[in-house]
Amino acid sequence: MQEKVEAQNILSMNSVEVLYDNVMLAIKGVSVQVPTGEMIALLGSNGAGKSTTLKAISGLLKAERGRISRGEITFQGTDITEVLAQNRVGMGICHVIEGRRVFEHLTPDENLTAAAPRGMSRSALNAEKEKIYDYFPRLAERRNSQAGYLSGGEQQMLAIGRALVTQPKLLMLDEPSLGLAPFLVEEIFGILQKINQEEGVSVLLVEQNALAALEIVSQGYLIENGRVVMHGTAEALKSNSDIQEFYLGGGEETDFHNVKHYSRRKRWLS
Amino acid sequence: MDWVFLSELAINGALTGLLYSLFAIGLVLIYKASSVPNLSQGGLTMVGAYVVLALSHDAGLPLWLAIPLAAVIMFGLGFGIERVALRRLAGRPVVMILMLTLGLDIFLRGTTLAIWGGTSRSVDLGVSYEPLFLGDIFVSRIHLVGAGVALALFVAFMLFFRTRTGIKLRAIADDYMASWSVGISVERGVGLSWALASVVAVAAGVIWGEIQGVDQALSLLLLKGLTVAVLGGLDSILGAVIAGIILGVVENVGADLLDPLVGGGSRELIVAAVLILTVMIRPHGLFGRHDIERV
Repeated sequence: MQEKVEAQNILSMNSVEVLYDNVMLAIKGVSVQVPTGEMIALLGSNGAGKSTTLKAISGLLKAERGRISRGEITFQGTDITEVLAQNRVGMGICHVIEGRRVFEHLTPDENLTAAAPRGMSRSALNAEKEKIYDYFPRLAERRNSQAGYLSGGEQQMLAIGRALVTQPKLLMLDEPSLGLAPFLVEEIFGILQKINQEEGVSVLLVEQNALAALEIVSQGYLIENGRVVMHGTAEALKSNSDIQEFYLGGGEETDFHNVKHYSRRKRWLS
Repeated sequence: MDWVFLSELAINGALTGLLYSLFAIGLVLIYKASSVPNLSQGGLTMVGAYVVLALSHDAGLPLWLAIPLAAVIMFGLGFGIERVALRRLAGRPVVMILMLTLGLDIFLRGTTLAIWGGTSRSVDLGVSYEPLFLGDIFVSRIHLVGAGVALALFVAFMLFFRTRTGIKLRAIADDYMASWSVGISVERGVGLSWALASVVAVAAGVIWGEIQGVDQALSLLLLKGLTVAVLGGLDSILGAVIAGIILGVVENVGADLLDPLVGGGSRELIVAAVLILTVMIRPHGLFGRHDIERV
């Protein structure tokens, strides 16, 4: 039975703790499961530990002097806790880091080339690029201009496209909606959904924009203060009154005559 | 003013300038792949020349074998420097890495002094010192050879930075974190750039060693090389070549005009003025990349 569960989850993270600089405990025992082929969201406010969770999975923690001090992460049944970040990309984990971070002085085309795995043939790379330009036609138009001058939405598309070149089995995105107009968020999320369905790529999405995220994922985890405080299907989370109030921006009408002069406690904390 | 004399000054200045470019290309290679100005490029150039001498004069190999062999050894040394010293500093503030390269320069100078002493030795490339006249203009053959090597390396590296490996190196210079996130081995990339810069150092070391003799003073080429690299825009190989020519001509012609007025020594002043003015007026140089700020 346990075996079977392992096989169904492409990623499984068991009570992972992360320390920065050997002193700061950023996440305190987070457990997250990503079933193969599904889209999962990590929700929560600023500084809750969502980004740290992704970095623990991608191995980028090391660049920020963080380390996993407890727990383990398995990817397709293999323990990857000690595997180097660049080798995790080779295994099929790709992390689209926060703030887009395209290679600004390269063209979009070169951005895609830079991410090509070692040993990918020229024709395979070109085919991959055409596929990505099909997903993101806006990029195709500007493939030879300097990436630093693309708009925010185009840069986010490029960052996702660049990640796809690495042939991921698990695509992790950190706040792809950050600073983008609502129609762009909708467009990008729609494309993510398409990629998930057509390529069978599992997706782990970190979002503050819970409203948009819960529309496309099947399950969500709510992280607060470095802990998972809630886990459920997207439907269940959307209808949860706390989620509605704190993350979806007020479910009920507010009667301003009766507003209480203290903020409501998040019951699951402390 | 005699036009033949002036053009002779300009042409020889340009050739000398291309020799500065030869040195500066090494600086640019490392900057282009890791955004670090390498203050030990002078030391590497000196070591490159000493290794060639050790293989040819001490071990008795012919020069045509000693130079490629030295290039291979220096290639390994470049990788070694990344592995031993730089890897620990990846992602730290640039100023620390800068200090490390300065320390490395001093270390290399001390090491060569300990092993080979401080007496100046000659390379004996076998290039004739017979004067070569192009029309009425006298040019030095060794400068001509060196300029040719500089241009050949320029073309080779321009092509290299269009290959997949070259593009990955440029990606690393742009953003370490983003490079890691798509599986680029930043460590190997930085190592490769140091290895290539060390090979360039062999070329520069041999040519400059032939011109001024091989001793610790070779490492002082850094000052002119850095001026050229900054004027060209630190990350532009084309910039290094053009800036080299400009600095060579300005220095040669300028010194000839100014020296009678100030009684000599204006050559260094001109170089210093170019460096200071570049940083003040055009910090990213002639062809350097700007930091992009979208409005």
